[in-house]
Parts: sequence; structure tokens; C-alpha cells
Amino acid sequence: MPEKEASQDPRFVYLSELLGAPVHDAAGRPIGRVCEAVVATRETYPPVEALVVRRGRDRLELPWAAIRARRPGRIEAEASAVVPLQPPAPDRIRLVEEILDQQIVDVEGAKVVRVNDLHFLWVKGMLRLVHVDVGFRGLVRRMGWQRGVDGAVRLLRPGARYLGADQLLSWKLIQPLSSAPGKVRIDVAQRMLADLHPSDLAEIMEDLDRQQRAVLFGRLDVETAADALEEASPEVTTQLLEHVPPEKAADILEEMAPDEAADVLAELPGHTRRELLQAMERPEANEVRQLLEYHPRSAGGLMTTDLVELRRDVTVDEALLEVRRRADELPILHEIFVVAPSGRLEGICTLKDLVAAEPALLVGKLMREVPATVAPEAELREVAGAASKYNMVSVPVVDEAGTLKGIVTVDDILSEVLNER
Amino acid sequence: MSAELAAGQPRPKRNLWRNVLVFLAVVGPGIITANVDNDAGGITTYSLAGAQYGNRLLWTLIPITVALVVVQEMSARMGVMTGKGLADLIRENYGVKITFWIMVALLIADVGNTVAEFSGVAASVQIFGVPPWISVPITAVAVWFLVLKGTYRQVEKVFLVACLFYVAYPISAMLARPDWGTVLTATVTPTFQASGGYVAMLIGVVGTTIAPWMQFYLQSAVVEKGIKPEHYAHSRLDVVVGCVITDVVAFFIIAACAATVHAAGVKVETADQAAMALGPLAGKYASWLFAFGLFNASFFAATILPLATSYYICEAFGWESGIDRKWGEAKQFYSLYTLIVAVGAAVVLVPHLPLLRIMLLSQVVNGVLLPFILVFMLLLINKEKLMGPHRNGPWFNAIAWTTTVVMIVLTAYLVYAGVRDLAAGA
Repeated sequence: MPEKEASQDPRFVYLSELLGAPVHDAAGRPIGRVCEAVVATRETYPPVEALVVRRGRDRLELPWAAIRARRPGRIEAEASAVVPLQPPAPDRIRLVEEILDQQIVDVEGAKVVRVNDLHFLWVKGMLRLVHVDVGFRGLVRRMGWQRGVDGAVRLLRPGARYLGADQLLSWKLIQPLSSAPGKVRIDVAQRMLADLHPSDLAEIMEDLDRQQRAVLFGRLDVETAADALEEASPEVTTQLLEHVPPEKAADILEEMAPDEAADVLAELPGHTRRELLQAMERPEANEVRQLLEYHPRSAGGLMTTDLVELRRDVTVDEALLEVRRRADELPILHEIFVVAPSGRLEGICTLKDLVAAEPALLVGKLMREVPATVAPEAELREVAGAASKYNMVSVPVVDEAGTLKGIVTVDDILSEVLNER
Repeated sequence: MSAELAAGQPRPKRNLWRNVLVFLAVVGPGIITANVDNDAGGITTYSLAGAQYGNRLLWTLIPITVALVVVQEMSARMGVMTGKGLADLIRENYGVKITFWIMVALLIADVGNTVAEFSGVAASVQIFGVPPWISVPITAVAVWFLVLKGTYRQVEKVFLVACLFYVAYPISAMLARPDWGTVLTATVTPTFQASGGYVAMLIGVVGTTIAPWMQFYLQSAVVEKGIKPEHYAHSRLDVVVGCVITDVVAFFIIAACAATVHAAGVKVETADQAAMALGPLAGKYASWLFAFGLFNASFFAATILPLATSYYICEAFGWESGIDRKWGEAKQFYSLYTLIVAVGAAVVLVPHLPLLRIMLLSQVVNGVLLPFILVFMLLLINKEKLMGPHRNGPWFNAIAWTTTVVMIVLTAYLVYAGVRDLAAGA
């Protein structure tokens, strides 16, 4: 085995210990030095499939099967099995080139980290990649100072956290972002990505560079992508939407809340915007088109058309059914609006009112007067004022005829107010 | 915008107005970098160059401008095409060891630069009779809070407006009525003096104009702005305009100092004497005007420099960074930032320090570090994997490699001259 000095447990090897190790044939003639390890990605903990050795300016590949004895500090292999460097393949990762020193997504910790070292485990003659080292000690090891630094720390503070706490992340809980097409899909991490909070996902996107961002975004399903985009900054959002195929972009926009979709579209160049609107389903596209007509910081620009509307002649029971039907797609559900067939806003009741009321009661009896409405042209201050004064979670936006056009929800008001500072 | 959308009419895209709009949206990184470039070290180095050697260093500005444009353009191009910072690229392509040593060198140079910025603060406020032990700690705390409280973005605009102060130098140079024929002849006639002092000054001028940390700063600024490859032409214009501004300002500072301080035969030791260059414009208020300008430049750079340095180092080692994180989340980032500000300020408080000499020295350190950074930039920008068709052309490479080689030769000569002077002095 080509190590043993640095890691205490002989079953584990670090990539940094493999790199640079001399490789010999059975007769002791040098073949070269290890400069790369290739793993096959078909399994959860990918086994090393080949080592790449450097001899002079040449790079040669050494299939794992050809490696015979592994004594400390040197590797023995059959010289006849050496093949020229193989071209990249979809189910193989070159660890030094694609993973080491690169940024990856730590799915469990929901952040972007840089890989300092890789950690292998011997299992039945196979060397399997199990961990990614992102800790300080990994850096020290890469510098070749582990022995010295470890010794010094042990001398000064034997109980130091540095010695015990290697920051090893399980390989199955990370997402590599090498951009080679069709590469590296790790199922567990993939599913976990979808489970991340959209804000965390958006933050990860912001931390990545353009290409990595596009790679990660391409791996998200439409729904997760839409949720993440609602939270991301406009620069990131527009850049991502321009990268994916228009049909997928349109699907994502349909999935987003109409007001958020309109905000995103407003940032895009005119021709892209028209193209995407055309690719979107008609009703969604029309809603978004309407929203785009308003100034982005007016009530009309901030409002969403996602809300629950009821007629005054339905019962509380029916009303609750309707609420339940719509609940999934509405981010915030507090006020429920009572609207005449003409679209005129007649009254308001809260979810609490509905839950507390008799099931047979008519909504028209339950509803109250609308405390405040704003015009689509109303400025942010006016909307925020209404929400604050009347403790409304969503402020209704009505036109001159009193027709309900949409609502501005308090989360959007809050983020606009914070931006204004 | 929305009317256009509703009507759905295609419009002629490639008109002038659209180009102007895109340029204004993309503008910034290059021109801001140019203004930060003329920091305390810059003003001082140019002033001393003009005061000690008159017009004899003016000729260097033309090759320096060419080199600056070439180098900054590479930074911006790498930023736009790869979407990554320079520290990221070095780490991802050359591994931990090389990155570590570059970051150590950069940290030393930047602590030196921060010392220079605080020296600038001390020197400028001293003109009003405020001693450094009052001005420097107050400034350090102000800088620290300004950045950590996140109000820095707004303040940046104030600094940029205050940079209009540089206009004082051209006016002053004109009013001093030098013989422009001589000045322009000196600008296009290379001369060389084989003395350690002259070479050190030369490296200082190059080092302050093409400061290594500016390349990191510019590239990150371009990345952060999210400029797309298709808008790169505007970004390049921004960079070129910025470089020209930097060197025009440098030209007039040197010319103004040559026409006043050097003509009067004064040996500049303090900021008061350097302020003489503004005499023809401001008369007895020259030192006030100079103090104002130097203070603004120093303070501006003192906010950006430690912050930028901490960012690159954390970026390279994969530590969490950014002023929007909490202390516990980004310990390394905040510790580094605080350390750089604290050390920068503390060094200036050592009694009887020749402030102007320190500022000059820090620029020489920059000059010595520059070739190393340039070598890596050149290796990176010529990688097909990263840059694809946007690699350097042969001409570009020729100019950039020439700059690098010249800097290495000059640095070697400086070391040699330093050793020789030491030996002669002993």
C-alpha cells in the first residue's frame, strides 16, 4: 500500500498520499509516478478503475487489475498492462482534474465548498472513494506539512479539535459540478437537492460561477428550479433562464408565482422575453403579460394574481374545499376575497374566520368590509402603509371600477422595503 | 419596455442608443479600479518621482499604459469568459502549494499597501496638525465599521465623486507654465539612469500603476457584475478608459511636481512638501487641497484593499467569505480582514516613521510581486480548456511576456543594486 505514514487507519488512503507515488514493474524498473486517479461512477461509492502515471511528458493509464503489490510508498504493476491515456467517458471521473481543488455542493450542509483532498477505503481489494475532505487539515496535508503541524499541535494542545475533527463529507452527499456533458449523477444527492430549502438553493447558486450554476440548475426538476429562482437575485435568474432550452425555461416560468415570473421576464432582453412568453401556456402567459404592464415597483408590478376568490352565495364548507384545492400553489394564504360575478371586490374574510364559522353559513354573511385597497399605480409606500395600518397579510389591488386585479403579499412588500434602504 | 412587449414589434437592435445603454450598464469595474489605483501609494510615488527626477520618468508612462491595458484587459477577459476570480483559477489549475505561496506573497504586499493607505491618512491629516496617534486609530475603526455594517456600497459613490480632486493636478501643472515642449519631449524620449534609487523609483511607478492586487480586484468585480461574454466589447472599452484615466492622472502629477517641487530644488520628505505641486492652483491652500485628495484616496483604498485581500484568500482556500455572513460562519474571513486593518494601522503608529518612504517602499514590493502574478495570468489565459477561442493572440502574448520579462530584469537589478549599496555603505 502506498501510504501508512500519515493516516492512522491502514484501511484508509488519501488521494494526496497516492499522488506522486512511484510505480514499478515486477523487476523493480520504474514505470512512472501517479498523477491522476480515475473512478467509475456507476456505484454509490465509486471504485478506482485506473491510475494515471506520468513518465517524462507522457501520461499512461494503469488499469486497476494490473496493479499487483502495493507496498508502502511504492506501487508495483504489470508493465505490459499499461495503456495510453483513455479519453473522458460519461461514467468515469478523473479525480484530480475534475474534483480536487474544485468547488462542489455540500448537499447536507447546503453550501458550496472547495475540495482539499479525497478519502478512499480499501474494500476487498478495491479502493473506493468514500469521503471528500474540505477541512483545514486537508490543506495542511496537501502542503506536505501534516506530520510537522500535527506534531506541533499535539505538543502544544493534545486535545485540540484540529487533530480529531477532519471535515470529511460523504461522497454520496455531495454534488460535483464538472461540466462535462451527461456526467456524474449521484442519486441520493440528486434527491436531496430537491429537498433543500429554496433559499438555500438560491444561495448556493449565487456562490457558484456561471458554468457551475448552469450545470446544477440543469439537474433540478422544473418545480425545484422554479422555487429556487423565486429566491435568487435577478442577475442569477436571468442568466440561468437564458442558459436552459426555451421550453424548459417556459415550464419553469409557468411553475413560478406570476408576479415573480413577471419580475424575471422584465429583466430579460426584449426578444428573449417575447420568445419565452410565446412558449408559455396561454393563461399563465396572459397573467404575466398583464403584470408586466405595470411599473415594477408599483402595486401592479408587485402584485400576484395567485389568490382565493369566492362568491358570496357559497357556504363555508364549500369555501374550505376551495381553499384546500388551491392551498398547494399559494405561498401565503390568509385573506380570502369575496367577489361579485362582475369581478368587483365585495368583501374579505380570513382563513381563521372560515375555520371558526359554522359549515353551513353563507360566506356573504361571514364576510367583512375590505379595510383598504390600493390602485395598480399605487407606490410601494402606500401599499406598505395599508398593510401595516390594517394588519393585512395581502393587500388587494383594485382598478377604478372596483375590480380585483390581484394582491400584494407582505413578503414582497418587506423585501422591497428592505431593498429601498 | 412593457409597451414594446405588448406590441410585440421587433426593433432594430444594433442602434447607437442601445450600445450606449449597454455600455453604461457594464461600465464600472475598469473605471472604479482605475480610481482605486491612484491611492495613497500612487499619489506619493508619482509625486516623489516628479520631485526627485523631474521629467525624467515621464517616458515610462507610455509603455506602462500599454502594459496596463494589456494586463487589465486579460483580467477582465478571464473574468467574463470563465466567470471565476483569479484566485479561484489559480487554485483550480495549479493546486494548493502554488496557491499558498502566491497568497502569502499577496498578503504581505497587501498588508504593505494597507500600511501605505494608513500612512496616507496620517500624512494628510498631519497637515492640519492632527497627530497620527489620533487620526489613524479613528480611521481604522471607521473603515472597519463602514465595511462590516455594509454601508460601504453607498459610500463608494462619495469616494468616486471625490476623485474629481485629481483635476487639480492638470490645472496646477498648466498654471505652473512649464516648458511643454520639454515635457512632451521627455515623455517620448526614454532615458535611463543606472542607479539603485532610479531603478527603485521606476519599479515603484510600475508597481503602483500595475498593482498585483488590482488584477484580482478587477477580475472579481467583473465576475460579480455578471457581465456576459456577448457584452465583453463594452467591458473592454471600460477597462481601456480606466487605464488611460489612471495614467493621465499620473502624467499630470509627475509633471506638476516636476514643474514646482523639482524646479525649486526641494527634497521631499513630508506631505507638506509634496503639496507644493498644487501651489500654482491653490496658492497657500495647496496643502489643504493636497491633504483632502490624499485623505480621500487613502481612505477609499483602505476600505477596499483589506476587504478584497480577505476575499481572495478565502476564495482560494474554500473558506466562507462575505460581509453578509455571520462571524461564526466566516471566521477566517473576518479574522483576516480585522488582522489586515489592525496591522496596517499599527505599523503607522510606530514613532518617527518616514511615512512617504514607507508608501514608496510598499509600491516597490508590488512591483517585485507583479511578474509572478503576470506569469500565472499568462499561463491561465492561454489555456484552451478555460478560454477556448478567447485566448491571447500572438501580439498580445508578446507584449505581456515582454512586460513580465522587463519587470523580472528590473527586480533583479534592484536586488543587485540594493546589495551593492549595502556593501558600499558598510
